[in-house]
Amino acid sequence: MKINVKKVIINVILKTILGMLALVILIPIIWLIFSAFKEEADIISWPPTFFPKEFVFSNWEGVKSKIDIIQYTVNSMIYALGTSIPAVFLNALAGYAFSRFNFKFKNVIFIGYLATLMIPFQVIMVPLYLEIHALGWLNSYAALIVPKIASASWIFLCRAAFDGLPKELEEAARIDGCSEIRIFSNIMLPLIKPTCITIFILTVNGCWNDMLWPMLVANSSSMRTLANGLAILIGTHTTEYGSSFMGALFSMLPMLILYIFGQKYFIEGQAHSGIKG
Amino acid sequence: MQLKRMTSYWNKPEHVAYLFIAPTGILLFVFCIIPLVASFFLSTMKVGVNLGLGEFIGLDNYVKAFTDRRFIDSLRVTIKFSVIETFLQMVIGIAVSAFIANNSFFNRMVRSIYFLPVITSAVTVGIMWQMILHPSIGLFTYWMEKIGLNNVALLNNPDTALYTLMGISIWRNFGISAIILVAAIQNVPKDYYEAAELDGAGKIKQFFAITLPEIKSSIWYLLISRVIGSLQVFDIVYTLTNGGPNNSTRTTVFYIYGEAFSKNNNMGYASAMSEILFGMIMIVIIVLQHIERKTSD
Repeated sequence: MKINVKKVIINVILKTILGMLALVILIPIIWLIFSAFKEEADIISWPPTFFPKEFVFSNWEGVKSKIDIIQYTVNSMIYALGTSIPAVFLNALAGYAFSRFNFKFKNVIFIGYLATLMIPFQVIMVPLYLEIHALGWLNSYAALIVPKIASASWIFLCRAAFDGLPKELEEAARIDGCSEIRIFSNIMLPLIKPTCITIFILTVNGCWNDMLWPMLVANSSSMRTLANGLAILIGTHTTEYGSSFMGALFSMLPMLILYIFGQKYFIEGQAHSGIKG
Repeated sequence: MQLKRMTSYWNKPEHVAYLFIAPTGILLFVFCIIPLVASFFLSTMKVGVNLGLGEFIGLDNYVKAFTDRRFIDSLRVTIKFSVIETFLQMVIGIAVSAFIANNSFFNRMVRSIYFLPVITSAVTVGIMWQMILHPSIGLFTYWMEKIGLNNVALLNNPDTALYTLMGISIWRNFGISAIILVAAIQNVPKDYYEAAELDGAGKIKQFFAITLPEIKSSIWYLLISRVIGSLQVFDIVYTLTNGGPNNSTRTTVFYIYGEAFSKNNNMGYASAMSEILFGMIMIVIIVLQHIERKTSD
């Protein structure tokens, strides 16, 4: 009996600590959400409030009058979807080849792919920028999208997923006279759907929140993405906090919804994809 | 006829494989390998945005870097950030993961909360924390005042700004570490614990004798990727402190960014500094992997 009481007490203390840690994570996010609906006077009042005195939507008008948020959102969507859809298909294609085919120099080539994982983006950003500049791609969607499609870590993830499938599947299709690309796209790719969703979701999230690359190559007023457009909003209008909060909330909302419905894939992908700043 | 022969040649598994790997192969070559090689050449040049006007200056950029007070300071800031942030995050990640590894309702709930900041962009983090820590209207400032600490201005004080950035970075990332470690802990065979239970080993002893050694490879993996990530810290510096106050948070990548893109387009010099950072990252990886191999014998 004595041991049980001790156990219960320890458990309660532990749960309290873990719960408090969860609050530390949550409070800033919830506070941001509430603050987006506060009046400016409410925001700058002292003592600061957690809940809005009254819910107002005027901050949305504030955002719209300062930056072209609709255009930036469209740009972010094009960047996110334009990157993630080909990323799923092309990385899976390579992962499939490394998993199912035997060809000359396979291992050497695969190690070459993996070696690219060791190259930190921040280290090559200067020559990459100059390359985009030389190609004449500055301030185009291609500049944002094309360099971000291929990823050795996704190829690696797809290869592992295909490794788990039985060999007989494509043998049967091959005997039926299916072309290799059809075997891939119609039979094999659908079988690793969870992996595809993981890649899709994490690529969308990565592009949506990416600030540095759009800042370098898509900085004209009509090409900005939401993340770097907001950076400009806080840079130039530091005195009006309400619209900054609303802008931040607006940019966070799609990812929040994605997280609520696709949490499993976020976690799955994060456990496998390596090196992020 | 010709066409048919060609399609049947390229439909053979050993040939079609090259077509399948070609798109990503070309992309990685053009946007990863070429920039890496180009970076070496750029680092030996005095060059701006227009490559045609560049001139070869040998190792001058490297000499300049090692005598540049600001660059050396940025390395010091970066290393300090990297060491402390990584260490604290690993400790918190390991400790937390040990307690939330069971799939109970409570644990699954806190896990998804700890992981939540993964959806925040650097800009959102910037707005959020700048306001919470705001010296005159911030929520945190107010709470500190309530417990008797006046004039707290964490981000505006050169002595505390870097540590504050570390804290925010941990806030944003420790959930990822915890989740990865939870996955590793769940893979430890259950009978190890049952055997230890029979021997009368307590939970704490079990953690150090079984769990920790069993998840060692995940810990190493996390350690290495966190060090690499934190050595490149840029975006939260940009959105939270802009390198200030008093350059106390000017990290290496932030300094490189400034040299290359915001002032004088010093592309050659920026590349040389990038190479030095790259070299440092490589050395850290090699040393850590060496230690890992040594200790696993």
